[in-house]
Amino acid sequence: MAQHLTIKDLSLQYSASDPKALSSLSLEVEAGSCCAIIGPTGAGKSSLLHCLAGTMRRHHPESVASGQIQIGETLFNGLPNHILFPIAGLVLQDPYVQISGVRDTVFEEVLFTLENLGMVPQDPRKTIMSLLERLGIDHLADRKPTSLSGGETQRVALAAILIAQPPILLLDEPTTALDSNAQDKLRLILRSLRGRTTVLLTDTQIDFALSIADQILLLDNGTIIFRGDPRTLLSQIHNFSSTLPIESWLQAQSFLSSHEKLSRHRPMIAKALSLK
Amino acid sequence: MRANLDLSSKLALVFLLWVCAFTLSWTFQFVLCLLLVIARFVLPAFRPISQRSAAAFSKFILYSISVAVLVVCLNALFIKSGSMIATLLGFSFYEDGLLFGLRTASRLILLSFSILMFFISTSLPVLIGYLQNKGLPPYLVLMLLLTLHFLDHLPSRIHQIFLAQQARGAPVDAGVFSRTKALLSILSPLVLSSIVESIERGTALELRGFLSKPSPERQPEQVETRVNPLTVCLYFISIVIIAYSIYRWLNI
Repeated sequence: MAQHLTIKDLSLQYSASDPKALSSLSLEVEAGSCCAIIGPTGAGKSSLLHCLAGTMRRHHPESVASGQIQIGETLFNGLPNHILFPIAGLVLQDPYVQISGVRDTVFEEVLFTLENLGMVPQDPRKTIMSLLERLGIDHLADRKPTSLSGGETQRVALAAILIAQPPILLLDEPTTALDSNAQDKLRLILRSLRGRTTVLLTDTQIDFALSIADQILLLDNGTIIFRGDPRTLLSQIHNFSSTLPIESWLQAQSFLSSHEKLSRHRPMIAKALSLK
Repeated sequence: MRANLDLSSKLALVFLLWVCAFTLSWTFQFVLCLLLVIARFVLPAFRPISQRSAAAFSKFILYSISVAVLVVCLNALFIKSGSMIATLLGFSFYEDGLLFGLRTASRLILLSFSILMFFISTSLPVLIGYLQNKGLPPYLVLMLLLTLHFLDHLPSRIHQIFLAQQARGAPVDAGVFSRTKALLSILSPLVLSSIVESIERGTALELRGFLSKPSPERQPEQVETRVNPLTVCLYFISIVIIAYSIYRWLNI
């Protein structure tokens, strides 16, 4: 069951003497929607996800934070002191480090999460196979998790988190290790989660974010410099040429032109399909 | 056969071999080392779990023989007591040094062989599952897991860094001296990348609830506490050897 996420005036410093990694950040993400956080390296994208997952306070106990995080009815003043899984599940950037190495097959690797949480259902095979099927990796169920490709490993890592049905899914630069084919598969998976899970993802690839998100957040130096829907960002993209790297610009332009072409040809395609 | 020799028995065997390494004479220890090498080929329970493990064990045997010969020679050369047993290229070797070298070498080889035999024939999932079932705290299991993972990936990581150094023009293939020099330069990237990866791996496991309160599925074994007779036998032999060694020591 997806949950509403609200962040109010969240500020973060890794230590009292450090500059602010996040500065008075406020955000609302509707239950079941997808929010993409984009921005240059060091903008604070991953820091925000780690704050939401509950790993920030654990790994940086000297960090100083203020503001509020609300997930559904649960309110945290400042940062959560514990890992929020399975309320919020974070998939890290490097898929290979997420494979535990303590289980022999993909099926057991996914089951491992349920074992940790004490949530093993009556028929774990049915539950896990149904998820693996949704993610298109059911044929890998008996394979060794360490013998998979980057895209496959990414999907196994995703399955290992999704099996606990977290209301909030956090993805830290999920497209980094993926080729375009694997990116397409991930895009379809994330679209299938719409309505069921609230998704927050960070990405440096603006076209991926534009194609998947309901809401885009542009971060720079820990501050939100744009918040809105992809269409609005595209119409104002020239305002952010100093923040977004040139390749992001090109990706956005390319996305815009293919989107326009698609819109122009949509009636013809619809007509052709109806004729068929 | 692999199933018959469970992890408890294997651990008991390692314990027995360690006891032997500190109590028995070097001749016995060399015989035990030889038996371990034979067991690796004959007994399915001691067969390496992968080709990589088998290759590591074979390499280790070669290195061990070289190290043993070196230890024996150096001791025989530098501990100049007892009768002189041989002179080679103007260097004299002495009996007491030779015996001390043999004792040291046999002990080192037996200790390392027993540990290596355990790890090459036991997969990480089996070991971790066993420790979890025995109720070892998750923090300790996590630390052990990260350490073993680091050791498992160490050769490939060193190879990768060597390749990267080579690509930058470092003379890593020029000879032993150059390789040793290059090894020093790879230490900092090796340590740093390993630390970063270990932290990330630990975080990823935490993010999957690994350190959460033990679940019913992970509760220590409580129902069945059947003791393997072989395990008991191995521990009994170890205790007898320790007791005999203490008795002998007190009577000298």
